Amino acid sequence: MSATLAKGINSFKEVIDTPIASFFSSCVHCGLCAEACLFYTETGDAKYTPIRKLEPLRRVWQQEYTLLGKLGKTLGLSKPVTDAELEAWEPLVYDSCTLCGRCAMVCPVGNDLTYMIRKMREGMAASGHAPEDLVGATTRAVTIGSPMGIKWPAVLAQIKHVQNETGIEVPVEKEGADYLVLMSSMEIINFPEYLSALSRIFKQTGVSWTLAQDAFEATNSGIQIGASDLAREIVSRIVVAAERLKVKCVISPECGHAFTALRWEGPNLIGRPFRFEVKHILEVLDELHTAGRLKTKGKDKRPLTYHDPCQIARRGGVVEQPRRLLNEVASDFREMPDAGVMNWCCGGGGGVSANSRAEPLRLQVFKHKKEQIEATGTQTLITACANCRIVMEEGLEHHHMKVEVIGLTELLAQYLVEDNTP
Amino acid sequence: MKQTNSPKVLQGTVGEGLEQRGITRREFLKFCTALTAMLALPPSMASVMAEAIAKARRQSVIWLSFQECTGCTESITRSHSPTLETLIFDLISLDYHHTLQAASAEAAELARTQAMQENAGKYLLVVDGSIPMGDPGYSTIAGISNYDMLIETAKGAAAIVAVGTCATYGGLPKADPNPTGAVAVSDIIKDKPIINVPGCPPIPVVMTGVLAHFLTFGSIPELDDLGRPKSFYGETIHDRCYRRPFYDQGKFAQTFDDEAARMGWCLFKLGCKGPVTYNACATTKWNDGTSFPIQSGHGCIGCSEPNFWDAGPLYKALSMPVSATASMLGAAAVAGAAAGVAITWHNRSTKASAKAAHEKVTPQELLREDK
Repeated sequence: MSATLAKGINSFKEVIDTPIASFFSSCVHCGLCAEACLFYTETGDAKYTPIRKLEPLRRVWQQEYTLLGKLGKTLGLSKPVTDAELEAWEPLVYDSCTLCGRCAMVCPVGNDLTYMIRKMREGMAASGHAPEDLVGATTRAVTIGSPMGIKWPAVLAQIKHVQNETGIEVPVEKEGADYLVLMSSMEIINFPEYLSALSRIFKQTGVSWTLAQDAFEATNSGIQIGASDLAREIVSRIVVAAERLKVKCVISPECGHAFTALRWEGPNLIGRPFRFEVKHILEVLDELHTAGRLKTKGKDKRPLTYHDPCQIARRGGVVEQPRRLLNEVASDFREMPDAGVMNWCCGGGGGVSANSRAEPLRLQVFKHKKEQIEATGTQTLITACANCRIVMEEGLEHHHMKVEVIGLTELLAQYLVEDNTP
Repeated sequence: MKQTNSPKVLQGTVGEGLEQRGITRREFLKFCTALTAMLALPPSMASVMAEAIAKARRQSVIWLSFQECTGCTESITRSHSPTLETLIFDLISLDYHHTLQAASAEAAELARTQAMQENAGKYLLVVDGSIPMGDPGYSTIAGISNYDMLIETAKGAAAIVAVGTCATYGGLPKADPNPTGAVAVSDIIKDKPIINVPGCPPIPVVMTGVLAHFLTFGSIPELDDLGRPKSFYGETIHDRCYRRPFYDQGKFAQTFDDEAARMGWCLFKLGCKGPVTYNACATTKWNDGTSFPIQSGHGCIGCSEPNFWDAGPLYKALSMPVSATASMLGAAAVAGAAAGVAITWHNRSTKASAKAAHEKVTPQELLREDK
């Protein structure tokens, strides 16, 4: 039992569906996607042209699903995709694509290249051409329960810490709560502020919520590496827990791909609609704010800017909510150039940050984010994705920039009107 | 006092003539700037143009009308006096023109031969109408066949301006079954520069613009592969149409009196030929910049394109087939559907067998044994 080329090619054949066939046949080879890709604009290397990253998949489509391609294959005019080729493509598909989806926005024929890369990774993983680090993270996610190897006791320690700090009880395994709260490993390890901010906000707004022992982890390495079988297993844990606790809504944390995995891929992976809603934390906070339940006092005087995480803004449609919330607590909020759906990726999404081989390239392409931040003249950067946050913190340090990165939920909690009378 | 009689004959240079008519240099410069802009020349060319035109002796022009409807002449004269278009009439010496000249019979023909002798090699020949190649008797002037007159007059011309779709591409007379054997000027004359100014009729300012260019530079403007000045025929009506945003949004009028038509949506489905018609109507417009067909609710009929009359029904969308019969289309649809089903079935079986061959991926299977 191991990955083989045959399995990979079979997987390519399996993932090619109507959208992919129509995308490949309608590509006009204009190359506009190159200019939209961080990895091309920052390196100038044409090999990073997004559509080119799909070349092996395109060849399989041509050879297996088109008349001329089949003929060429039968006559031996077109050579089958080889292991060497997939090996050469591995860094293009995993290291230099963050699934950010900016290329899909500029494609004049509307090709969703991100959708294609995501599907192509199925074949790359099945043929054993996924980066070692991603294989490790995925294995940990499946066997231990979290890509960073975190188990429930670590979360429990975190909960105790938060309870001591805030004096607020963190509900666990509370059946019939309205919301099931998930976290990302990054938040458990690096940003405990998130859970603390959330429990304070939910206490003030009177939201009934809970954590689940067997489904605290929102991230999904199966999506990043491109193994639907594993992604299904990981997402099923959340579905089972949410339905067991009979919650109305599951809150995806400040993490980009977790939202994509649960909100968009989830029901397709398990093959049926969810019996609960999925919302990003910013959507929930915005709803509470609009309903007048989330009240804040005072405004942050620092000039600050907001980084739109790709999966939340461009791929997730959560664009207006963070602005409404920010304007409530910031007196000098400045948009960066290309903010909103055309924002530039931090450079570490889609599994790139978990892949140590990609680090030098990731730090190189961070230049663009650096310029965007510099254009605003701010030294405080707000975002809503723990992965973007850690990637940007590393990038800022590498480029010797004195910029503080803060999660939006955490910022809101700082200005929360707290009524501590019991 | 406004002059209402026929255009006064002016002596000497154009500059003198303009002065006599009380046209100030400021007005003249404005006129030249407008022309420069229309011809897509750099702004600095306006003063060059003004200098050149003012100093030029009035250009001798001979206008021949063959198988035509006089629409082109109507177009160039139908402009409110005094507009820029009538001014340009004073810049040239129109030595021969059936419809506009006062002389008749032998005197008229004498005017033509005189102008040809006096300005040999220098006069500009304007032609409207197509030339019948079937029986020479189909169209004659003073007993001379159109063909003979064109050959004779073209000989000493500096350049020829073919005005209107008949002269440029054969136009309506050439429409199937072309009973007179009508051909365009460029089908006969091969040794002279020819500027095609198509349209049925052409926009007045396009005609005057081409003449001004010739007067200023003594050469013909840059032409496209169909011999049309690029400055006026460089872009399609569609690309410059104010209704284009509706096309891009897929908002179409389905009939001429539906709500969509009243909202001013795109007329593509009602047969508008704007997407394949190169002309300046959408920018220059007609009747002193008032409007153009699409603006008044009717699709472009493509009158400035070769063989427009035979290019399919005027009210059928461009995307509809024009020549295939219903049975042919039916057969093609059946054959296409059959091929589609066969290919789909085959592709589905490819995909189904790939699905069947899928082995569940486990973490162990993400690694290669041989790696």
